[in-house]
Amino acid sequence: MAHSLEERCTPLKLEYDSCFNSWFEGYLEPAVSASASPENRAEYSKAKAEEYERKCGKIWESYRDCVQKAVKDKGLDDLLDQARKENPLKEPPRTS
Amino acid sequence: MHYFSQSFDYDHSWAHVIIGMWHKYPNPHCSHVVTVDVVDRSVDPCSGIIRTERVLGCKQRTPTWIVKLFGGSEDAFVREISFVDPSTQTTTISSVNLSLSQFATCHEKILYSPAAGGRTAFHQTAEIQTRMVMWRTAADKLENWLAVRFEQNAQLGKVGFTDVLRQLWEDAKDKSPAGTPAPA
Repeated sequence: MAHSLEERCTPLKLEYDSCFNSWFEGYLEPAVSASASPENRAEYSKAKAEEYERKCGKIWESYRDCVQKAVKDKGLDDLLDQARKENPLKEPPRTS
Repeated sequence: MHYFSQSFDYDHSWAHVIIGMWHKYPNPHCSHVVTVDVVDRSVDPCSGIIRTERVLGCKQRTPTWIVKLFGGSEDAFVREISFVDPSTQTTTISSVNLSLSQFATCHEKILYSPAAGGRTAFHQTAEIQTRMVMWRTAADKLENWLAVRFEQNAQLGKVGFTDVLRQLWEDAKDKSPAGTPAPA
Protein backbone atom coordinates (compact mmCIF):
# COMPACT_ATOMS: atom_id res chain seq x y z
CA MET A 1 0.00 0.00 0.00
CA ALA A 2 1.18 3.52 -0.75
CA HIS A 3 2.33 5.79 2.03
CA SER A 4 0.47 8.78 3.40
CA LEU A 5 1.54 12.29 2.44
CA GLU A 6 2.45 12.64 6.11
CA GLU A 7 4.80 9.89 7.30
CA ARG A 8 3.31 10.14 10.78
CA CYS A 9 -0.09 9.07 9.38
CA THR A 10 1.26 6.11 7.38
CA PRO A 11 0.82 3.42 10.08
CA LEU A 12 -2.82 4.52 10.60
CA LYS A 13 -3.35 4.66 6.85
CA LEU A 14 -1.98 1.14 6.30
CA GLU A 15 -4.18 -0.24 9.05
CA TYR A 16 -7.23 1.56 7.64
CA ASP A 17 -6.46 0.45 4.05
CA SER A 18 -6.22 -3.20 5.00
CA CYS A 19 -9.45 -2.95 7.01
CA PHE A 20 -11.27 -1.36 4.07
CA ASN A 21 -9.79 -3.73 1.48
CA SER A 22 -10.69 -6.77 3.49
CA TRP A 23 -14.26 -5.50 3.92
CA PHE A 24 -14.50 -4.43 0.26
CA GLU A 25 -13.28 -7.77 -1.06
CA GLY A 26 -16.11 -9.49 0.76
CA TYR A 27 -18.59 -6.80 -0.22
CA LEU A 28 -18.32 -6.31 -3.96
CA GLU A 29 -19.33 -9.55 -5.64
CA PRO A 30 -22.31 -10.31 -3.38
CA ALA A 31 -23.35 -6.66 -3.86
CA VAL A 32 -23.52 -7.22 -7.61
CA SER A 33 -25.67 -10.34 -7.09
CA ALA A 34 -27.87 -8.62 -4.49
CA SER A 35 -28.67 -5.89 -7.02
CA ALA A 36 -30.99 -8.22 -8.92
CA SER A 37 -33.88 -7.02 -6.78
CA PRO A 38 -34.25 -3.56 -5.19
CA GLU A 39 -35.31 -5.06 -1.83
CA ASN A 40 -32.28 -7.35 -1.61
CA ARG A 41 -30.04 -4.51 -2.63
CA ALA A 42 -31.35 -2.17 0.08
CA GLU A 43 -31.17 -4.86 2.73
CA TYR A 44 -27.65 -5.96 1.77
CA SER A 45 -26.37 -2.39 1.46
CA LYS A 46 -27.70 -1.44 4.88
CA ALA A 47 -26.20 -4.49 6.58
CA LYS A 48 -22.84 -4.00 4.85
CA ALA A 49 -22.68 -0.26 5.54
CA GLU A 50 -23.20 -1.06 9.23
CA GLU A 51 -20.57 -3.79 9.10
CA TYR A 52 -18.07 -1.39 7.54
CA GLU A 53 -18.74 1.16 10.26
CA ARG A 54 -18.40 -1.45 12.96
CA LYS A 55 -15.17 -2.94 11.59
CA CYS A 56 -13.35 0.10 10.21
CA GLY A 57 -15.10 3.12 11.78
CA LYS A 58 -12.67 3.57 14.62
CA ILE A 59 -9.43 3.27 12.65
CA TRP A 60 -10.96 5.48 9.95
CA GLU A 61 -11.56 8.27 12.48
CA SER A 62 -7.97 8.11 13.75
CA TYR A 63 -6.52 8.09 10.23
CA ARG A 64 -8.88 10.84 9.02
CA ASP A 65 -7.96 13.13 11.92
CA CYS A 66 -4.27 12.60 11.16
CA VAL A 67 -4.57 13.19 7.41
CA GLN A 68 -6.89 16.19 7.79
CA LYS A 69 -4.28 17.89 9.93
CA ALA A 70 -1.53 16.96 7.45
CA VAL A 71 -3.55 18.38 4.53
CA LYS A 72 -3.88 21.64 6.46
CA ASP A 73 -0.21 21.73 7.47
CA LYS A 74 0.85 21.32 3.84
CA GLY A 75 -1.42 24.17 2.77
CA LEU A 76 -3.55 21.85 0.64
CA ASP A 77 -6.79 22.57 2.50
CA ASP A 78 -7.53 25.77 0.56
CA LEU A 79 -6.86 24.09 -2.78
CA LEU A 80 -9.00 21.13 -1.78
CA ASP A 81 -11.84 23.38 -0.59
CA GLN A 82 -11.72 25.30 -3.84
CA ALA A 83 -11.83 22.09 -5.89
CA ARG A 84 -14.76 20.87 -3.78
CA LYS A 85 -16.60 24.13 -4.31
CA GLU A 86 -16.05 24.04 -8.08
CA ASN A 87 -17.08 20.42 -8.37
CA PRO A 88 -18.62 18.85 -5.25
CA LEU A 89 -19.16 15.48 -7.01
CA LYS A 90 -21.54 14.28 -4.34
CA GLU A 91 -23.42 12.12 -6.85
CA PRO A 92 -21.97 9.82 -9.52
CA PRO A 93 -21.45 11.69 -12.81
CA ARG A 94 -23.69 10.70 -15.70
CA THR A 95 -22.04 8.08 -17.87
CA SER A 96 -24.33 7.63 -20.92
CA MET B 1 -7.37 23.10 -24.93
CA HIS B 2 -5.84 19.64 -25.24
CA TYR B 3 -8.00 16.55 -25.30
CA PHE B 4 -6.82 13.02 -24.67
CA SER B 5 -8.72 9.76 -24.71
CA GLN B 6 -8.01 6.06 -24.75
CA SER B 7 -10.08 2.88 -24.40
CA PHE B 8 -9.13 -0.73 -24.01
CA ASP B 9 -10.17 -3.85 -22.10
CA TYR B 10 -8.58 -5.49 -19.09
CA ASP B 11 -8.60 -9.30 -19.09
CA HIS B 12 -10.30 -9.50 -15.71
CA SER B 13 -13.87 -9.32 -14.48
CA TRP B 14 -15.27 -5.98 -13.38
CA ALA B 15 -15.20 -6.99 -9.69
CA HIS B 16 -11.57 -8.12 -9.91
CA VAL B 17 -10.53 -4.88 -11.59
CA ILE B 18 -12.33 -2.78 -8.98
CA ILE B 19 -10.86 -4.76 -6.08
CA GLY B 20 -7.46 -4.33 -7.77
CA MET B 21 -8.01 -0.58 -8.11
CA TRP B 22 -7.15 -0.06 -4.43
CA HIS B 23 -3.89 -2.01 -4.92
CA LYS B 24 -2.59 -0.01 -7.90
CA TYR B 25 -0.04 2.05 -5.94
CA PRO B 26 2.81 1.96 -5.12
CA ASN B 27 3.72 0.79 -8.58
CA PRO B 28 7.19 0.55 -10.16
CA HIS B 29 5.71 1.63 -13.51
CA CYS B 30 4.06 4.68 -11.96
CA SER B 31 6.80 5.82 -9.61
CA HIS B 32 5.55 9.42 -10.00
CA VAL B 33 2.68 8.60 -7.61
CA VAL B 34 4.33 8.59 -4.18
CA THR B 35 1.48 9.05 -1.71
CA VAL B 36 -2.20 8.14 -1.65
CA ASP B 37 -4.61 9.29 1.04
CA VAL B 38 -8.31 8.77 1.53
CA VAL B 39 -9.72 12.08 2.77
CA ASP B 40 -13.42 11.13 2.65
CA ARG B 41 -15.37 7.94 2.11
CA SER B 42 -18.99 6.89 2.42
CA VAL B 43 -20.92 3.68 1.90
CA ASP B 44 -24.51 4.51 0.96
CA PRO B 45 -26.79 2.26 3.07
CA CYS B 46 -29.54 2.38 0.42
CA SER B 47 -27.83 2.25 -2.97
CA GLY B 48 -24.65 0.45 -1.92
CA ILE B 49 -22.60 3.03 -3.83
CA ILE B 50 -19.18 3.73 -2.36
CA ARG B 51 -17.89 7.26 -2.79
CA THR B 52 -14.18 7.82 -2.11
CA GLU B 53 -12.29 11.09 -2.17
CA ARG B 54 -8.52 10.70 -2.31
CA VAL B 55 -5.51 12.98 -2.54
CA LEU B 56 -2.63 11.60 -4.58
CA GLY B 57 0.84 13.04 -4.18
CA CYS B 58 3.05 12.99 -7.26
CA LYS B 59 6.70 13.72 -7.70
CA GLN B 60 7.96 14.37 -11.16
CA ARG B 61 10.76 16.48 -12.50
CA THR B 62 9.33 19.86 -13.42
CA PRO B 63 11.08 21.90 -16.13
CA THR B 64 12.88 24.98 -14.84
CA TRP B 65 10.80 27.35 -17.00
CA ILE B 66 7.60 26.16 -15.31
CA VAL B 67 9.05 26.60 -11.84
CA LYS B 68 10.24 30.08 -12.84
CA LEU B 69 6.99 31.17 -14.48
CA PHE B 70 4.43 29.50 -12.27
CA GLY B 71 6.26 28.68 -9.09
CA GLY B 72 5.53 24.97 -9.28
CA SER B 73 7.58 22.44 -7.42
CA GLU B 74 8.39 18.76 -7.72
CA ASP B 75 5.48 17.89 -5.46
CA ALA B 76 2.08 17.98 -7.08
CA PHE B 77 -1.23 16.89 -5.64
CA VAL B 78 -4.36 15.58 -7.33
CA ARG B 79 -7.92 15.27 -6.00
CA GLU B 80 -9.71 12.10 -7.11
CA ILE B 81 -13.36 11.15 -6.55
CA SER B 82 -14.54 7.64 -7.34
CA PHE B 83 -17.98 6.06 -7.28
CA VAL B 84 -18.26 2.29 -7.21
CA ASP B 85 -21.83 1.25 -8.07
CA PRO B 86 -22.32 -2.52 -7.76
CA SER B 87 -25.92 -2.39 -9.06
CA THR B 88 -24.93 -1.01 -12.47
CA GLN B 89 -21.39 -2.39 -12.35
CA THR B 90 -19.93 0.97 -13.16
CA THR B 91 -17.04 2.74 -11.56
CA THR B 92 -16.30 6.35 -12.39
CA ILE B 93 -13.21 8.23 -11.34
CA SER B 94 -12.89 12.01 -11.74
CA SER B 95 -9.60 13.70 -11.03
CA VAL B 96 -8.31 17.24 -11.09
CA ASN B 97 -4.95 18.75 -10.23
CA LEU B 98 -4.71 20.78 -7.03
CA SER B 99 -1.21 22.06 -7.72
CA LEU B 100 -0.81 24.75 -10.38
CA SER B 101 -4.60 24.83 -10.48
CA GLN B 102 -4.70 28.62 -10.54
CA PHE B 103 -3.00 28.44 -13.95
CA ALA B 104 -4.23 25.28 -15.61
CA THR B 105 -6.57 22.36 -15.01
CA CYS B 106 -6.35 18.77 -16.05
CA HIS B 107 -9.74 17.09 -15.70
CA GLU B 108 -9.51 13.35 -16.06
CA LYS B 109 -12.45 10.96 -16.24
CA ILE B 110 -12.25 7.19 -16.11
CA LEU B 111 -15.03 4.66 -16.53
CA TYR B 112 -14.78 0.93 -15.80
CA SER B 113 -17.67 -1.20 -16.99
CA PRO B 114 -18.18 -4.89 -17.88
CA ALA B 115 -17.25 -5.92 -21.42
CA ALA B 116 -17.92 -9.08 -23.42
CA GLY B 117 -16.16 -12.29 -22.41
CA GLY B 118 -15.79 -11.43 -18.74
CA ARG B 119 -13.48 -8.55 -19.51
CA THR B 120 -13.62 -4.98 -18.27
CA ALA B 121 -13.76 -1.93 -20.50
CA PHE B 122 -11.62 1.02 -19.50
CA HIS B 123 -12.39 4.43 -20.94
CA GLN B 124 -10.31 7.46 -20.07
CA THR B 125 -10.57 11.07 -21.17
CA ALA B 126 -8.66 14.14 -20.13
CA GLU B 127 -9.13 17.82 -20.84
CA ILE B 128 -6.18 20.07 -20.24
CA GLN B 129 -6.85 23.76 -20.26
CA THR B 130 -5.13 26.90 -19.10
CA ARG B 131 -7.42 28.72 -16.76
CA MET B 132 -6.59 32.38 -17.01
CA VAL B 133 -5.86 34.78 -19.75
CA MET B 134 -2.13 34.77 -19.93
CA TRP B 135 0.64 35.37 -22.32
CA ARG B 136 -0.35 33.10 -25.22
CA THR B 137 3.02 31.43 -25.76
CA ALA B 138 3.37 30.57 -22.09
CA ALA B 139 -0.18 29.20 -21.97
CA ASP B 140 0.38 27.02 -25.05
CA LYS B 141 3.69 25.81 -23.75
CA LEU B 142 2.24 24.92 -20.34
CA GLU B 143 -0.71 23.09 -21.91
CA ASN B 144 1.61 21.18 -24.21
CA TRP B 145 3.87 20.11 -21.41
CA LEU B 146 0.93 18.98 -19.26
CA ALA B 147 -0.58 17.08 -22.19
CA VAL B 148 2.65 15.26 -23.04
CA ARG B 149 3.21 14.35 -19.42
CA PHE B 150 -0.38 13.16 -19.03
CA GLU B 151 -0.08 10.88 -22.06
CA GLN B 152 3.17 9.38 -20.82
CA ASN B 153 1.66 8.75 -17.38
CA ALA B 154 -1.49 7.28 -18.93
CA GLN B 155 0.57 4.66 -20.80
CA LEU B 156 2.53 3.85 -17.66
CA GLY B 157 -0.74 3.57 -15.74
CA LYS B 158 -2.00 0.93 -18.18
CA VAL B 159 1.19 -1.14 -17.97
CA GLY B 160 1.38 -0.74 -14.20
CA PHE B 161 -2.23 -1.67 -13.49
CA THR B 162 -2.05 -4.66 -15.86
CA ASP B 163 0.85 -5.96 -13.76
CA VAL B 164 -1.00 -5.38 -10.49
CA LEU B 165 -4.06 -7.27 -11.74
CA ARG B 166 -1.92 -10.14 -13.02
CA GLN B 167 -0.13 -10.45 -9.68
CA LEU B 168 -3.36 -10.20 -7.74
CA TRP B 169 -5.47 -12.67 -9.70
CA GLU B 170 -3.25 -14.86 -11.88
CA ASP B 171 0.13 -15.39 -10.26
CA ALA B 172 -1.56 -15.88 -6.93
CA LYS B 173 -4.62 -17.91 -7.90
CA ASP B 174 -4.40 -20.06 -4.77
CA LYS B 175 -3.58 -17.16 -2.57
CA SER B 176 -6.01 -14.45 -1.59
CA PRO B 177 -5.27 -10.77 -2.27
CA ALA B 178 -3.45 -8.99 0.53
CA GLY B 179 -3.90 -11.90 2.88
CA THR B 180 -7.66 -11.52 3.11
CA PRO B 181 -10.40 -14.02 2.25
CA ALA B 182 -10.50 -14.64 -1.49
CA PRO B 183 -13.61 -13.31 -3.20
CA ALA B 184 -15.71 -16.08 -4.73
